[in-house]
Amino acid sequence: MSRRWRDLPFAVAFLAPSLLILSAFVLYPLGRAVWLGHQRCDATGANCRSNGWDQYVDVFRSEEFQQALGVTVRFALLTVPVGLALGIALAVLADKHLRGIGFFRTVFSSTVATSVAVASLMWFFLLNPSVGVLADWIGGVAKNPGLLRDEDTALWAVAVSSIWANLGFTFIVVTAGLQSIPAELYESARVDGAGGWTRFSNVTLPMLGPTLLFAGVVLTSRAFQAYGEFDLLTGGGPNGSTTSLTYLVYGNNSIIKNNVGLQAAVAVLLFVVLILLSALQIRGVERRVHYGN
Amino acid sequence: MATSAASRRWRTAGRYALLVAVAVVVLFPIWVMLVGAFKPGNKVLQDPLLPTSVTLDTLRDAWRDGKLGRALVNSTIVALIVTVAQVVTSVLSAYAFAFLRFPGRTLLFALFLATLLVPFEATVVVNRETVQDLGWLNSFQGLAVPFLATAFGTFLVRQVFLTLPKDLREAARMDGLGHLGFLREVAVPLARPTLGALALFGFLASWNQYLWPTVISTDDDWNTVQSGLRTLSQAQIDRPNLVIAGTVIVALPIFVVLLVFQRQLVRGLTAGAVKG
Amino acid sequence: MSVPPHMQRRRRRPVVAVVAVVAAAGCVLLAACGSGRSILEAGNEPRPTTPTTTPATTVPGQTTVPGQTTVPAPTTAPPTTLPRPIDSLPPCDMAALDTAAADGPVEVLFWHGMANELGRELERIVGEFNASQDRVEVRLEFQGGYEQTIDKYLQSDTDNRPDLVQMPEYTVQLMVDTQSNVPVQACMEDIGYDAADILPSALRAYATEGIQWAMPFNLSNPVLYYNKQVFRDAGLDPEAPPRTLDELAEAGRTIQSSGAAAYGIALDSAPDGGGGWFLEQWLAKEGEFYSDNDNGRAAPSTRVLFDGPTGVSLLTALRDVVVNGGGVYVGENPGGTDTFLKLADASAPASMTIATSAALGAVLQFVEGGIIPGIGVDDIGIAPMPSPTGAPGTLVGGASLWITAGRGDAEAAAAFEFVQYLVSAEVQSQWAAATGYVPVNTAAPGLEPLLGVYATDPRFRVAYDQVAETPDLPTSDGPVLGPLREVRVTAAGAMAQILNGADPATALADAASLANALIADYNARR
Repeated sequence: MSRRWRDLPFAVAFLAPSLLILSAFVLYPLGRAVWLGHQRCDATGANCRSNGWDQYVDVFRSEEFQQALGVTVRFALLTVPVGLALGIALAVLADKHLRGIGFFRTVFSSTVATSVAVASLMWFFLLNPSVGVLADWIGGVAKNPGLLRDEDTALWAVAVSSIWANLGFTFIVVTAGLQSIPAELYESARVDGAGGWTRFSNVTLPMLGPTLLFAGVVLTSRAFQAYGEFDLLTGGGPNGSTTSLTYLVYGNNSIIKNNVGLQAAVAVLLFVVLILLSALQIRGVERRVHYGN
Repeated sequence: MATSAASRRWRTAGRYALLVAVAVVVLFPIWVMLVGAFKPGNKVLQDPLLPTSVTLDTLRDAWRDGKLGRALVNSTIVALIVTVAQVVTSVLSAYAFAFLRFPGRTLLFALFLATLLVPFEATVVVNRETVQDLGWLNSFQGLAVPFLATAFGTFLVRQVFLTLPKDLREAARMDGLGHLGFLREVAVPLARPTLGALALFGFLASWNQYLWPTVISTDDDWNTVQSGLRTLSQAQIDRPNLVIAGTVIVALPIFVVLLVFQRQLVRGLTAGAVKG
Repeated sequence: MSVPPHMQRRRRRPVVAVVAVVAAAGCVLLAACGSGRSILEAGNEPRPTTPTTTPATTVPGQTTVPGQTTVPAPTTAPPTTLPRPIDSLPPCDMAALDTAAADGPVEVLFWHGMANELGRELERIVGEFNASQDRVEVRLEFQGGYEQTIDKYLQSDTDNRPDLVQMPEYTVQLMVDTQSNVPVQACMEDIGYDAADILPSALRAYATEGIQWAMPFNLSNPVLYYNKQVFRDAGLDPEAPPRTLDELAEAGRTIQSSGAAAYGIALDSAPDGGGGWFLEQWLAKEGEFYSDNDNGRAAPSTRVLFDGPTGVSLLTALRDVVVNGGGVYVGENPGGTDTFLKLADASAPASMTIATSAALGAVLQFVEGGIIPGIGVDDIGIAPMPSPTGAPGTLVGGASLWITAGRGDAEAAAAFEFVQYLVSAEVQSQWAAATGYVPVNTAAPGLEPLLGVYATDPRFRVAYDQVAETPDLPTSDGPVLGPLREVRVTAAGAMAQILNGADPATALADAASLANALIADYNARR
């Protein structure tokens, strides 16, 4: 038996558990969703009939989808770069052997302990114009009806909550990345007379490449799939200004809530957007990131 | 060089000042939450920054009304099952992709990676049907089974396995170690830090599941902490801080887990987990 | 070793790349294509074209005559719904319970959406029912709220549905179309149940096509909550709260100029509150239908009517209350508490709000705790919901009880046995006294504890009186629309824009055309 086939029994055995789960709960439902996306069904999801595959095209071009896509993209643009920058800043700040640095590291990573629901409910409390402290401080704009209830600020307010909640994760990942940068690199940079900022931009950032890629990909995919924040903080409002693609699919206030065919179409199109996005990400980043080996 | 020492001292002081300032900003929402959680409901609107009156009543009510005791048990059991299973399935499939040769390997790996991009939202409706057909609504199986394997874990562990020198496997084969033996005695021990990080991520992801538990339970005995919080967040006119007390209860265990495992997490990630 | 030059070139690239890629993807996608059409029109089937609504050209402030309908004369004979023969629906055999109960109690699984205080009172009632007899054992399962109850009911198959489910008033058509219920009428006829004591308007709310589908259980309607102390401080009569929207604005201005409070009324735009539900109520008070074909009760509705002259002048008046009538708009109020919290706001409180009567019990507890400094329970006033012309009356709000078909004759019969208990005068008396709901049993106010509550605290009576004063008109039975919740969301969107200053006619016309698309789409999928 050739080498090519000899491992097959092991491969089957080793891959079976993962394959089974992924097929049953990811691939199969994805396939079903693709099929459902060209159909219209009644409110219980039964009595489906074809509505033509151009339903996908029309859904994509529809006002609601375009608006939700815009919201989703803006949410990612608000949360990912700021989240990454803050994570780097905090990690660099805490990357020093100082007395008590462990305490600060724990503080900075503490928001990892908050889930989406916890963080959202906290910020709901902070931003509520009647109860919240922040609303009082920010004054003017934050009052009546409040940052979360104002079409111009709601998405920003949700983004702040999300950035805060993800900060711990980014901090931990970047800290790990910093610790794997060989100290000699800094030493040689120092010998060359590089100042703090030069060392940061010439050594730290390039060496963090893979780490930042990882964190960026995770944050981007979280941003594109965020749901709980919108569900708990804004209910997709005001006036659709925080109806993301995921909220359009599942939200209580979505107009396609009991419309399985259209829900599936939106969800599948979200998948397509994510594929395009990661293809671009990988292509764009691969050419630029220094992998260190 | 007195000036240099002085300037270094100043710089250290400046760094401390910055650290403290940032810590205050990061902790601010947490502080407000703690103050709110320990206040009686009727005092919440006054002095939200100061614990002017302290009571455990709100926490107790949140515990009772959100059925958080039961929810904590559910979440813990599910998260543990998911964590262990994800590590095991990830190690097995990562091993297959890293060390085994079989036809269609590249294609299959691409398929695995593709599942990373499927938004959970795209599968929820159909998965609910599946779970319902299996009779798993309101059960641990229903809460856990869809998450027992993850392409993310497979990918992460495979990356580590690929960094192991090729001759390790050859040497092991010389020693008469089969695939299982090599996996158990060489590969897994070398990947341990990464597996720790994977376990922690798996635990957190499972603990933080929000949509799924609300979708597949019709009985609040099967609430997890997140869906329990959602229940608590329903209109509470007379106790605006009840849900805040609930968030404290829910966040606390994770905070402890984090305190205990923080170093492992950083070490696991440092050990190449996030290298491309 | 110095820093390699290739590293220098590559600084900060990953971040930039991620940002650029996200931006590029977004811009490309967005610039490509918007069709400007609604998602509801997607697909190749020619969808029923939405009827164009008559442009609302009302001059702001123009009054409309109550009772005047805006339905244009139909060009063809109007479609009418024929009464459905009861035999065509799942039967109810109450004798099946007697047989089954001989072997022990029959379990009834009951899904409900009553949170907090309401849920605890319901638990208490169920506990008493279970203890009072040994034929039926009710198991209560809280679904997290009405919306979750609806979702889970729709998504579940018969095996995973409950035997009895509580559904809000806006789901009538949705539930009928699931074809999954034993109409309570079948059970009522089987044992000759005497429904004479059940509030007729509440029964009518859940009857269409000549079939009594469900039994009303918890009945609520919007009322005015106001702070009497502020009224006194402002020199207003705390016993004469505003009844019309003009009076509401006048009172708001007085309160604001006197400095007694920062604002008059706090208004929201929640789909199930100020944005959607109240709009239905206001139109009914003005004697208007919300949707054509008599609110969908003569034949399926094809379009909404809230963008007609009455709707436009109503929303214009509401906008004026916020813009120069001392009012404050608090947003979409997703948790249902923002309007009340605004009354307790430490720095800029409002002094009035409109909200469901079902919150009364909780609000009084809220105030009793001392959350508004210096304000006691007695300082909270309750009055009928103000309306454009001060007309009395209300639509039936709240929820009803639906029996699931296909889960066994004994289960259906047991569910109806429990339903009878829930709407009995005794239980309705306790339920209404504890919560602020209006009893659906007309004998309940004559029994303790409600008798005492109504006598000593007339505030609990306001919602009941609103029901009693409702004129006997076709417009007093609420709209029956499959996608009523989604239609409410569109109306709430318009309300939000208008209260933020948008033009009422335009905003309502846009919302109506989306609502009409929802109705057309629903009817096509049914």
